[in-house]
Amino acid sequence: MPLTARRHVTLAVACAGVLLATACGTGGGSGTGGPGGLTVWFPGNSAPEIELVTKTLVPEFEKAHNVEVEITYVDWGQISPKLNAAFAAGTAPDVFGHGPAAAAGFVQTGRIDKLDERIAALPAEDREDLAAYLEGGKVAGVQYMIPLSGQGTLIAYREDLLTAAGLDPASPPRTWAEAYQAAQKLTVREDGAVSRAGLLLQSAKTQRVQTFLTLLGSEGGSLLTGDGRKPAWNGPEGTRALEYFARLYQGDTAVSNQLGADFANQPAAQNPLATGKAAMVMATSGQVIQIAKARPDLADKIGVMPPLEAATAKTFGGAGPGLFVNADSANKDLAWKFIEFMVSRPVSDRYAQAAGALPVRASAATGAYASEQPLLKPFVEAAPAYLGSPNVPAWVQVRDVLDKHIEQALAGKVPAAEALAAAAAEAGPLLAGE
Amino acid sequence: MRRPGALVALATATILVLMPFWWMVSMAFKPEAEVFTQEPRLLPAQPTLGNFSVALDDGNLGRAMLNFAIVALIVVVANCVFALLAGYAFAKLPFPGGGAVFLAIVSTTMVPVAVTLIPLFLITKGIPLAGGNDLLGQGGSGLLDTLAGLTLPHLIGPLNVFLARQFFLGLADELGEAGRVDGAGELTVFWRIYLPLAKPLVATVAVFAFTAVWDDFLWPLVVTGSAETQTVQLALSRFLTGGNVAYGPAMAGSVLVILPILAVFLFNQRSFIAGLSEGGVKG
Amino acid sequence: MSVATQAGPATARSRPAVRRRPSRRRRLIGLAFAAPAIAYLAVFQMFPMLYGLYLSFTSYSPLDRGAPRFVGLGNYAALAGSAEFLQSVGVTVQFVAEVLPFAVGIALGLALLANRRVRGIGLWRAGLFLPRIVPLTAVSLVWLWLYSPDGWFNSLLADAGLRPHTWLLDEDTALHAVAVMRVWKALGGNMVLFLAGLQAIPKTLYEAAALDGAGAWARFRHVTLPGLRPVMVYVITVNIVYLAQSFAEIFILTGGGPLGSTTTTNFLIYQQAFQNNQFGSASAMAFVLFALIFAFSFVAMRGMGRRS
Repeated sequence: MPLTARRHVTLAVACAGVLLATACGTGGGSGTGGPGGLTVWFPGNSAPEIELVTKTLVPEFEKAHNVEVEITYVDWGQISPKLNAAFAAGTAPDVFGHGPAAAAGFVQTGRIDKLDERIAALPAEDREDLAAYLEGGKVAGVQYMIPLSGQGTLIAYREDLLTAAGLDPASPPRTWAEAYQAAQKLTVREDGAVSRAGLLLQSAKTQRVQTFLTLLGSEGGSLLTGDGRKPAWNGPEGTRALEYFARLYQGDTAVSNQLGADFANQPAAQNPLATGKAAMVMATSGQVIQIAKARPDLADKIGVMPPLEAATAKTFGGAGPGLFVNADSANKDLAWKFIEFMVSRPVSDRYAQAAGALPVRASAATGAYASEQPLLKPFVEAAPAYLGSPNVPAWVQVRDVLDKHIEQALAGKVPAAEALAAAAAEAGPLLAGE
Repeated sequence: MRRPGALVALATATILVLMPFWWMVSMAFKPEAEVFTQEPRLLPAQPTLGNFSVALDDGNLGRAMLNFAIVALIVVVANCVFALLAGYAFAKLPFPGGGAVFLAIVSTTMVPVAVTLIPLFLITKGIPLAGGNDLLGQGGSGLLDTLAGLTLPHLIGPLNVFLARQFFLGLADELGEAGRVDGAGELTVFWRIYLPLAKPLVATVAVFAFTAVWDDFLWPLVVTGSAETQTVQLALSRFLTGGNVAYGPAMAGSVLVILPILAVFLFNQRSFIAGLSEGGVKG
Repeated sequence: MSVATQAGPATARSRPAVRRRPSRRRRLIGLAFAAPAIAYLAVFQMFPMLYGLYLSFTSYSPLDRGAPRFVGLGNYAALAGSAEFLQSVGVTVQFVAEVLPFAVGIALGLALLANRRVRGIGLWRAGLFLPRIVPLTAVSLVWLWLYSPDGWFNSLLADAGLRPHTWLLDEDTALHAVAVMRVWKALGGNMVLFLAGLQAIPKTLYEAAALDGAGAWARFRHVTLPGLRPVMVYVITVNIVYLAQSFAEIFILTGGGPLGSTTTTNFLIYQQAFQNNQFGSASAMAFVLFALIFAFSFVAMRGMGRRS
């Protein structure tokens, strides 16, 4: 089998293809963080956010400090395993973003730096401006995370669909019970299956725990006991909350479909609210704003309800994802400078705007972005009702346990009370630190 | 054309098998709005090249393809050299204990990746003097998150050693003896006499080594962190978030990734297929 | 072209007429030739196996800065009582059992078709083989769309007047959906192996059978199938080993859900190791998977052998 001319040609073609693609690709690639550089991982996949951070903010920072920053966006579902592997490997980035729920776990294993002194060194004016959300980045009173923005989830709805169903879009449901009744009127069924959902809550992996937290909080319950050492979700409030959640999917009176589908990470134009496949959808401010941007024709047909009530009105929200400093970083001062830059006044506003999130600074609530974006207003006003994930070391694992059992209940495999009790039994030892 | 029935059956099966590729190519050229329509259309109404630039730019796919090419090249060369040498030694230059060692090597082919995944991860981290490590392999990250680290589990495939031994066993010993009578050294005997006869084997080992890297997803997923070291398999999966895919760019990326290997395959179909089927006839 | 014709099993055991004891020098050279491979495989195959076995008896989190803590058989005992792990073993077994017969049976049928002399046979073979050379990541992404609510399969259903189905979100269909994709992916590679096996069967056997008046089915039953046995054993074993380690397609298509119905053991190992940071427990799972694969392959090989 001699090497024929034809094989050489083939090889050359193949190599040329690879090289061509490489040449095209390296143009937009990120630079490598040299010895003096900084590596940063951000979670998420929001295109406008990635665009702003990688193409505008980071280059600005690089220019201002004459350093190289290597920035990588990691999908939410992969950020935890990737960080775990990287910590085990010693290749973890200098700065990384994650949700507040992850903070306590990293504290326990000594992977992140205390930031109290750095905060104390900020001008008093900045400290006060950031104070509200900084609280969400504390573990046992110590600051470990600096939130980049605030976040909240509310129920957004299509005014035109409410009108068509004989409901008044100017006075949308105020309680979860009313929302369920309205959903019954809004749901369209074909052959016994829901073809248009009346009310769609987030039911994908992890997100269903956040939905449960919203419902649980509204019932007046909480996930854990006050000291964070025991589950508290298995009380009557929890049962009521999960029963409500599960009932949305079950039987002939179901008002939701696509159990387990991830609407939060869908392109905005594909969100069920945008396609009209759902009339009321649980969404973050970012999602609602992106939907309005992707479908300008719908912009003035989208309404957002204040937090719905059961016993009280609570909803998942608070400090959004924030930045941590790797305890093993060789570049901690630069790492802090980067964080400082990200939450500085003009930058944090631009960031919040790109992400469609709540500005992290209190002073921004009256700023241009907040006042010019009508869809953001309900989310700002809902801030007092926001409820975050518990800051306990085992939270990520406890959440996965709870997630698994909630899934069982939503699928109708197990009654709500039983699922929550099973989750409590399984999560108990994790919380107790065994 | 004596068998129209066979032709029809073959054509139908082929078209069915190729349908997903049709959609792949079609979606690569569709603008986002067209990807999610109620009734998917076989051809894009308004074809666009935008997805390709997104794939190369945001997906950093060019870098990933270069990374993959480097890793694959190292692995293919290492296998062709060392697996062949070892197989030759086991077949033609027996040494004490060689039989037992060979058996041990062959027995590892059935070990699932999961068994060695975590230890390999820790070993890769502990490679001395790499990635800031000291002589004892402590203190740094070793070869994790490097291209060299990506090649580590594939450098010498036990199956390739097995195939090489079987192949050389099938060549007559007299060939070598004749060379030795003429005063040739062992390396010359291997290089000048046996290796020229072993070109089909080289093709087989090359294809096997290549596909080992090509099919691997778990090791790159675990061992790489930054975008700088990603290979194509991982780069493609980055278009996926929580069960949702940016289909246009993902499909455009897939097309780009497949094109080079498709070219190699189509022009060398016979040796490619012969190489892959080799293990079957041998095993 | 194929090596098989030059060095088939028949010739593999050929011995030189005169067998002399190799000189000491030659033995040393042999050792030197094999040394790199032996050293490499010892360090990167054998040692990791033993290390993994050791880890499976420990509790070890890579995030903690401490060393592995010996826990004896604790991990294995915990697995025996873990519903999650047992479910994953069930899913793995079901997945292999579902894909294997189709991936082998249909591939054999295609090989018989593709072994005929029809026009453009090279093109048909290449087309059928194509899924084999495309990375699993890429094909999984396409199939994710095919199965999506607005994807091709649902549009076919709609054309037939049926309701759309969320294939990958339904506990009853998710694993089957992944299995169908995996069959499709495996066909080409298996077909090529069978083709090589078919072409290695001497034509004279068919001619002799035809002379005996054997019909097409009898020829297939008594000449083709026995002739394919070695290839068949290989195909089945390789498929079992690969399928039992399914990961990438699960990672992309379902993420192990819904309700853990597609969480294969290999996927659970990854989660346990890198999501939950339990290297010890994950290693124990890996060895159970190893035993499972070994048992399956052994049964398959014995079963095939007995039929001869």
